[in-house]
Amino acid sequence: MSPELERLQRWMQEVVVHPGTVEEAVASAGAEREIPADRLADIVLPSESMTPSERIGVYQGMYLIRMEEALETDYPVIRYHLGDVAFSHLIEAYVQRYPSRSYTLNRLGDHLPQFFLDRSDWPQAKLLHDLARLELAMTQVFDEEESPVLSAEELEAVPPDAWENARLRPIAAFRLLHFRHSVIPHLIAYHEDRPSPNPRRRASWVALYRRDYSVLRLELSRAEHDLLKALAGGTPLGEALAVAAQLQKSSSQRAKIFKWFRTWIAEGLFTSIEA
Amino acid sequence: MTENRWSFPDLGLGVGLRTPHYAHILSERPDIGFFEVLTENYLDTGGRPLYMLDQIAENYRTVMHGVSMSIGSTDPIDFDYLAKVKALAARIGALWISDHICWTGVLGRNTHDLLPLPYTEESLKHSVERIKVVQDYLDRPLVLENPSTYLEFAESDMPEWEFVARMAEEADCGLLFDVNNVYVSAYNHGFDPVEYIDAIPGDRVCQYHLAGHTNKGTHIIDTHNDHVLDPVWELFGHTIQHVGLRATLLEWDADIPPFEIIHQEVLKAGDWRRQEVANVA
Repeated sequence: MSPELERLQRWMQEVVVHPGTVEEAVASAGAEREIPADRLADIVLPSESMTPSERIGVYQGMYLIRMEEALETDYPVIRYHLGDVAFSHLIEAYVQRYPSRSYTLNRLGDHLPQFFLDRSDWPQAKLLHDLARLELAMTQVFDEEESPVLSAEELEAVPPDAWENARLRPIAAFRLLHFRHSVIPHLIAYHEDRPSPNPRRRASWVALYRRDYSVLRLELSRAEHDLLKALAGGTPLGEALAVAAQLQKSSSQRAKIFKWFRTWIAEGLFTSIEA
Repeated sequence: MTENRWSFPDLGLGVGLRTPHYAHILSERPDIGFFEVLTENYLDTGGRPLYMLDQIAENYRTVMHGVSMSIGSTDPIDFDYLAKVKALAARIGALWISDHICWTGVLGRNTHDLLPLPYTEESLKHSVERIKVVQDYLDRPLVLENPSTYLEFAESDMPEWEFVARMAEEADCGLLFDVNNVYVSAYNHGFDPVEYIDAIPGDRVCQYHLAGHTNKGTHIIDTHNDHVLDPVWELFGHTIQHVGLRATLLEWDADIPPFEIIHQEVLKAGDWRRQEVANVA
């Protein structure tokens, strides 16, 4: 392998991914480590109408635009909430910290929740962390493997004496999330093109799942979340339902448990039952 | 006019498969010779994209076109990526796998841009060695596309067309000849596009690309966001005379219009194909 080619590629990458002007990029420490800035004209030829700096600037200028286009696809709610300028500022900082290391741009945004944990000083970091977790989970559910859905017939085939120890297994395209903020109003505001709501620090619980290749959600109470978490985690039905029933004070509240259960089965959240 | 040395079929007129057109394609079944699939969009998904692709591949011939093979990079070859590419090609029955003569990143990073190579003996040798390894792994010829470029390296000691032709011969690989890219690079670097076309070994060309671009005055950007411009059509005609008929694909990746508009645009390529064949006859 040519050491010269290696050096040239390291230099060009340093210039291309630099967030400043092209002059700043060429003079950055990373670029200068490979090729001194005053040697630019020895590396890149001018054209009839462009200087070497302008020519490499074509590549450098497109880098952040490309990163932003990819991330606005995955994080439209955050972009809507922040507005274009603040979102661009966020992406510039994010891709410096977490540049793409994958063959696909689909994974570029995987570290955005972590970014807001790292940067707790970022404006609205806690809300943005919740929104990033929501949107990242939506992309994961979108791309998960397709699972067969547990049918009513399969449920009915479980013998009555086997229900106590039966365990449910969720479909692959399922995520259960707990947030410190009320995040769904932000999602709705984006979809309905209404002003993004003021951040509201109030715990919320959401199940994301996919049906007929569309990503859907169920907003849950804490009790629903806890029961669904237990079931999805493999807790035997009898044990999970008994714990949930203990937490419901009245018989009408306890009756809700079965309504929840029917909804989850009807929505196709489970792929199998081991009796 | 030449024959393709691998007997890859002339698939006629094709269109790049894009998400907004899935429903139209499956409901209307347009008369298209083939679809070109953007490889990386389908490697890590078990959801709707793959579901749609499976249905389209059942009804149409497909070829795969990637942007992350980074064949000219000095980083190690990513065999995990190649394994997924190979598996996808087998799944959909892709007739060939293409990527670009470029590099996309080093030190484990991916800029997701098609960055230019210096056209030197060293980078030629480096690319040829890697192409051979990839072809051996994929167990099929790799088809590589000439890039659009916006700069020239001072150390280049041969023109791009010589680099492309020698690379294809020495690595024994195929070429995806992008006529628009030749026009774009010729404008940006001030060379004669006809000289480029005439230097290409026609028997190695497996496919053509056509696309629109954006002229910024000082340079042209390969934006794939509009109709094919007349000078590119003229070059396409000349390419057919030199190379022959090959699977011809229209790329439209930004400001994507309804499918019918793209279909009408690629049908113009059919007119050019008929006209140039008649001229030769």
